[in-house]
Amino acid sequence: MRCLTTALVSVALCGSALGATVVVGKPDWPSAQVTAYIIANVIKERLGVDAVLRPVGTVQLIGAIDRGEVDVHPEVWLPNSAAIVDEYVNVKKSLRLSPVGVVAAQHMCTTRETIEATGLRAVEDLNKPEIAQWFDTDDDGRGEVWIGANTWSSTRIERVRARSYGYDETMLLLTMPEDQALASVDAAVATGSPIVFYCYEPHYIFALHDIVTLEEPPYDAAAWNISAPEHDVAWLDNSAAPTAWQPSHYHIGYATALADSNPAVAAFLDKLEITPKDAEAMSYAVHVEGRSPEEIATAWIAANGARIEEWVK
Amino acid sequence: MTMLRRTIAAVLALGMTVTAAQAATEIFNPRSKTWMKYDPKLAKRYYQMKGGVPEDFQRQVVKFRTAEKPGTIVIDGNRHFLYFVLPDFKAIRYGIGVGREGFGWAGIVNVGRKVEWPTWTPPPEMVARDPKSAKYAGGMPGGPDNPLGARAMYLFEGNQDTIYRIHGTTEPWSIGLDISSGCIRMNNDDVIDLYSRVKVGAKVIVLMQGAALYRGV
Repeated sequence: MRCLTTALVSVALCGSALGATVVVGKPDWPSAQVTAYIIANVIKERLGVDAVLRPVGTVQLIGAIDRGEVDVHPEVWLPNSAAIVDEYVNVKKSLRLSPVGVVAAQHMCTTRETIEATGLRAVEDLNKPEIAQWFDTDDDGRGEVWIGANTWSSTRIERVRARSYGYDETMLLLTMPEDQALASVDAAVATGSPIVFYCYEPHYIFALHDIVTLEEPPYDAAAWNISAPEHDVAWLDNSAAPTAWQPSHYHIGYATALADSNPAVAAFLDKLEITPKDAEAMSYAVHVEGRSPEEIATAWIAANGARIEEWVK
Repeated sequence: MTMLRRTIAAVLALGMTVTAAQAATEIFNPRSKTWMKYDPKLAKRYYQMKGGVPEDFQRQVVKFRTAEKPGTIVIDGNRHFLYFVLPDFKAIRYGIGVGREGFGWAGIVNVGRKVEWPTWTPPPEMVARDPKSAKYAGGMPGGPDNPLGARAMYLFEGNQDTIYRIHGTTEPWSIGLDISSGCIRMNNDDVIDLYSRVKVGAKVIVLMQGAALYRGV
């Protein structure tokens, strides 16, 4: 994919006809799409290399990179994809990850108003009936807390966390789609009602409302033990998660071949740094302002010229 | 104490003497988790004493920060509010009453159909216990006495009709109460206003809290 630099042949040999085009995978979630547009735009406009976007689901993307069909994956999540990343990075050696990662985190959250009204500060406070009663809307003696959507892998772990901390006794654990849960947060803020819920970041909710994450002991790998219900009918009894979540990261992934064929592009991908603040603002622009990923990418590039200059040097 | 509990307590405190026909409708007491005898005359008297619907339940534009698009409806059955989302983080907030059919129900649906002056068909159990309802077993035409009021918005899950409706009422004193008949009730003026704004296909989010969590009541 590297263009020959000789002036006489460059016109003839550079360009997509000879496979010089960098193919950037575009997964189906908005933050990855914004990043994909940024990558393709910078590669074209600042590095002078042709680039196109190709919609590919995240499960298929790494395989497509391995087959040489796609060059870049804008968001590879760890530890979620740790097994497949290990296979393609260390065994097949067809994938590389940028050393720069965006930190993603999961918590229990509440609103500033709730903290002030109830005294809730830490996850373990939910074990106290006098705190839990603030969140009881159906008068059954227990509070309610959203722990995630039915289909999310994190939801079963939140169930384990509730049992490990003990608030499965004092709180009713609700599962429902994210839209419905976040509308509950909107309504609670509108009426000044207490609410507590599972949350993750980067996420626009932190820009939309004054959200506070509950305190808890830092992640302790030795204390976490998660059994899968597919393998263990007593998975809940046999699991434990009595501390905070392990922080997650996501990185740009790209074809090892790209580092050889176009080191300038690979060097840029190794430096490109989307901060958690950037990611939160992008999430807000997509979900709250209803702007398109392409439009957000264009605005971000215009506002971050100096940073981009550093990355393409 | 929420507005709902204050209102229920006041209505119950006025005392209960009901006729057989009036017993067809009941009011839910969230403390005892039981349905109790309800006399609409007492609710009406309380309503008149207060000079109308409590201020909280009157139609008003409120601040409402949300990622939901303008035109979306959010129903907070616990607080007895229905929000119609407007641009710029605002919403029109209406007071609602929640019927027994609205209990134990929450979810994301859409407005599948809108009808002016809808026909009301009493459920078979009401026909069986209430002679007044029996004559409408085949359907009561729309009009000022029809319990569905001036407008109805039929809530669908995908393309399938659910049993749930947002509708008007001829009894404005029932706003803010959990009364056995009806589903999501609004004052006729309010339901006409909402009807004029909402589009078929609009997203409706019913929050999972309060009465939506009740089971078997």
